[in-house]
Amino acid sequence: MMTVSEILNDILSGKRTAEDVTRACLDKIKELNPQINAFVEVWEDDALKQAQAVDAKKARGEKLGPLAGVPVAIKDNILYKGHKATCCSKMLENYVAPYNSTVVEKLLAADAVIIGRANMDEFAMGSSNQTSVYGPVRNPMDLERVPGGSSGGSAAAVASGMVPVALGTDTGGSVRQPAGFCGVVGMKPGYGRISRYGIIAFASSADQVGVLTHTVADCAKVLEVLSGKDPNDSTSLDAPVPEYEKLFTDGLKGVRVGMPKGFLDGLNPVIKEKIEAAAKTLQAKGAELVEVDVPYAKYSAPCYYIITSAEASSNLGRYDGIRYGYAAKNAKGLNDYYELSRAPFGLEVKKRIIIGTYALTSERYEECFLKAMKVRELIREDFKKAFEKVDVILTPTSPTTAFKLGAHEENPLALYLADLYTCQGNIGGLGGISVPCGKDEQGLPIGVQFYAPILKEEAALNVAYNFEKGL
Amino acid sequence: MEITKKDVELSGKLAKMQVTGQEADIYKEQLEALFKWVDELKAVNTDGVELTQTAHSAHMRHDEPKQDPALARTLISAFNEEQDDCAKVKKVL
Repeated sequence: MMTVSEILNDILSGKRTAEDVTRACLDKIKELNPQINAFVEVWEDDALKQAQAVDAKKARGEKLGPLAGVPVAIKDNILYKGHKATCCSKMLENYVAPYNSTVVEKLLAADAVIIGRANMDEFAMGSSNQTSVYGPVRNPMDLERVPGGSSGGSAAAVASGMVPVALGTDTGGSVRQPAGFCGVVGMKPGYGRISRYGIIAFASSADQVGVLTHTVADCAKVLEVLSGKDPNDSTSLDAPVPEYEKLFTDGLKGVRVGMPKGFLDGLNPVIKEKIEAAAKTLQAKGAELVEVDVPYAKYSAPCYYIITSAEASSNLGRYDGIRYGYAAKNAKGLNDYYELSRAPFGLEVKKRIIIGTYALTSERYEECFLKAMKVRELIREDFKKAFEKVDVILTPTSPTTAFKLGAHEENPLALYLADLYTCQGNIGGLGGISVPCGKDEQGLPIGVQFYAPILKEEAALNVAYNFEKGL
Repeated sequence: MEITKKDVELSGKLAKMQVTGQEADIYKEQLEALFKWVDELKAVNTDGVELTQTAHSAHMRHDEPKQDPALARTLISAFNEEQDDCAKVKKVL
């Protein structure tokens, strides 16, 4: 396992070249990917060329970027010019990105090495990475179990040591939940912190790019590179990007950590024990634990599924065989053409589009969509009030540890509950980071999550950093 | 909230998707379970709640539409055929 900090030290000190580091990752991918299926495509030649360019830049004595020679995997819904981006769907199986997403531009400008595209749930809809057209990803901790999702490939690639960094996207917990299941660090910043230009949309009021790494310091480094206003994304926020690592403190004196009332009720006892132990660790570091009340947060999951499905039904309308996606042959008319062209969507994607379309029908709009939107306002208000009293809020990342592949097939609602603690962050627009906090009796990782308000990611990172050091 | 097979088929039609009878049966059952959960929202008093546009606040674009002939050319050349500086797509009717 290599961290970003170790790689940067090695490359800058001349101990290893960027090409050495990239070749080591490529070898690891060749060894492990056949079992784990984290990568759906590896751009070996491109990656080696990028690494050689970094080495040449160093040899010329030029200043290197902040991620010089660091191999990065990108989720298969992030556009990288000239490379496939399929959302792990048959619908986009031949789609080649015609331009770079802003996050890819920023990675390249930072001299990172983009190594391949990571597996994911189809169109980012799922919590187990079982709906990919390329087949499921297996959890590196136990190959019979899921890695979480939808950024399951990204999490598994980092957890297995194939890459030190992967980008994911997080609409309801899709970075933090797999990070928790695989035992790595995963952060979704607040809404608007990172540009979404060039990210294939699922639900635009909740989608955010996130970062998966081995350590909190690595996560801070990458977040700093990716953050900032982008004129190509009107929802990105125009605010200065802090040097996150410089804001890390030694201890948490004066930091108030919110413990939401009732959040641990009914939780799996082992997870509850680890979360309570995490709170005690923070206390030992000087933090003050404060009970906060967020009574409407319990409605986050139903709100999330109505709102994001409605947005998905609109966003995925573009896959009609004319603007994007599969173009049907032998259609008998325009409607027939649309229906045949939209046939390649998988069952889960079709289901979400149907949920969203149903919630937006004139008969159901008020009681479903409008109601969910109004409850969302109350949830946001809840968190806003809570953050007047505390700097961060602590929750479990997930109510369970990684479950077996194929579990919950008969009861998809149980799968939807995997996002219980994470979708609150997307509904509220908060930043959230998941950090490993122990293992259950089967040796499966457990994650603890720290939430911070929009544009206060440094608070969550600092608490996570101190927690990691205190383990 | 009761969901019928007809609701599922109608939603599929509105979304311009083919939904087979078997799929409609599966979706009906799953949607019923989900919307039972959504019914919990009815208990929440939302009188007087006003909606904001985004998670932070409403943002209006201040920039102007960009003219990028190079990007337009790249996109057009990605198609098999072109005519009068436009991408030519095949007839769908």
